[in-house]
Amino acid sequence: MNPAINVESLRKTFKGRDGTSRAVLKDLDLTVAAGEFLCILGPSGCGKSTLLNVLAGLDTVYDGRTSVSGGRIGYLFQEPRLLPWLTADENLDFALASCRVPTSRWSELKSRYLAMTGLSEYRDYYPHQMSGGMAQRLALVRALCVEPAILLMDEPFSGLDEITARRIRADLLSIWRETRKTIVFVTHNAYEACFLADRILVMLGGAFREEMRVPIGRPRSFDDPAIFTLSRDVIKAFDDEIGREPVQSAIPVAEPSLIDNLARHAAARMNI
Amino acid sequence: MLKLLSLTTAVIVWGALSLTLPHEIFPGPIETARALWGDIAGGEVWTDLTMTLLRVVGGPVLALILGVPVGVVMGLNRRAEAVLDVWVMIGLTIPSLCYAIMAFMWFGLNEGAAIIAIAVTAAPSITINIWEGVKNVDTKLVAMARVFEASRAVIVRRVLLPQIFPYVMASARFGLGIIWKITVLIELIGRPNGVGFKLFYWYQLADMRQVLAWTLLFTIIMLLIELLILKPIERRLFAWRPQVAI
Repeated sequence: MNPAINVESLRKTFKGRDGTSRAVLKDLDLTVAAGEFLCILGPSGCGKSTLLNVLAGLDTVYDGRTSVSGGRIGYLFQEPRLLPWLTADENLDFALASCRVPTSRWSELKSRYLAMTGLSEYRDYYPHQMSGGMAQRLALVRALCVEPAILLMDEPFSGLDEITARRIRADLLSIWRETRKTIVFVTHNAYEACFLADRILVMLGGAFREEMRVPIGRPRSFDDPAIFTLSRDVIKAFDDEIGREPVQSAIPVAEPSLIDNLARHAAARMNI
Repeated sequence: MLKLLSLTTAVIVWGALSLTLPHEIFPGPIETARALWGDIAGGEVWTDLTMTLLRVVGGPVLALILGVPVGVVMGLNRRAEAVLDVWVMIGLTIPSLCYAIMAFMWFGLNEGAAIIAIAVTAAPSITINIWEGVKNVDTKLVAMARVFEASRAVIVRRVLLPQIFPYVMASARFGLGIIWKITVLIELIGRPNGVGFKLFYWYQLADMRQVLAWTLLFTIIMLLIELLILKPIERRLFAWRPQVAI
């Protein structure tokens, strides 16, 4: 079977104001199988959003080869990015119209995904009338209702409170189980990655440093101790990587957030 | 209701103040209304009023045509912004009276010159509004639309314009306030008709009743335009915006 995404020696450099150029993606090779759930895990500034932008076709200035096949791309951003002057329903219509989905299918697609995410009652709400979690769920509906074969997700739940994020993660997994889309999910949250992914790629300083398969069967429970153990190993791998390379000063130091996240998860697990 | 009350208060204050001066110099509301009614019944008001309103509408249309493109360019291009910034500031600083004098001297005492003078006065503030609006365009929404394969035309029409539109609307409303004041001034120095001309005419005859009657007439018309046309349009267009609670 053909891979859904194939990237060969992808390089991307940004020119700084002082004329120096900085490599944000360093000869990346990546293959994602159709139907796979891949998580790319890394601290902020490691180049993971840049990689997604290249895959989505938003960024076209790079060296190397990328090919995405199998159908349309859906993209879920870190923020909902809804058009504030349109209602929930109209926001979905905007996406459907832009993607030229035949009008006859609109109402079926919308009802299906709105129902899956529990938003059926909120069609006439404007984005400002929704909570952050609802807005992000609506953004998920918008990404899904154009029926993408590949779903790119850029830290989509990092701005949400943990309880809401959990609920949407569960929604996402059940939708994935039903529709078998290829998902590339970028996150800085090790626990989230271990819960969601088939495979985790650890990214640091514009390169993949480690590849891990997640040997936990599905359906998974968020409170499974195996996930906790695995995420601890992942973080440990991170620490080793960082220790091995002390000259990575160009990348903003955000590694502590990984630990913070883990601590928060541990706390959340005890509280709930 | 509250509006009506405040309006009534304004009229009462006017009446009270008018008692402090001889009524030939400061007529009260009733006297003024009577003079206004006489003018309206006489039928001579309409030509002047129509001419002024035409200028008040024509001026901003030309001002938008001049001001919007410059504002858009300034918002999009940093170099254009640096170059045009000073021009806009100069344009904003020059008093409208200067524009009026220059327009009448260069283009003659005609309608075109009047409209040009009005437009040039209003254009810089429109430019500033649009410039601000374009700079504040949310590029994240544009990226979102591109991900959903929206064409360039769709992005402009459904993502960019709705974001700039509030700024256009604000500059139109704000502009109307200034424009009518300029129009009256320009009519005073260079037109044979219009509200400004009439104000000056009655001023020369020292007829304060008529001066106030014309002022009242125009104020009423502008209030009606604001309340019956602009406000409803705005309410319809911006229904999606959240109410700000402080």
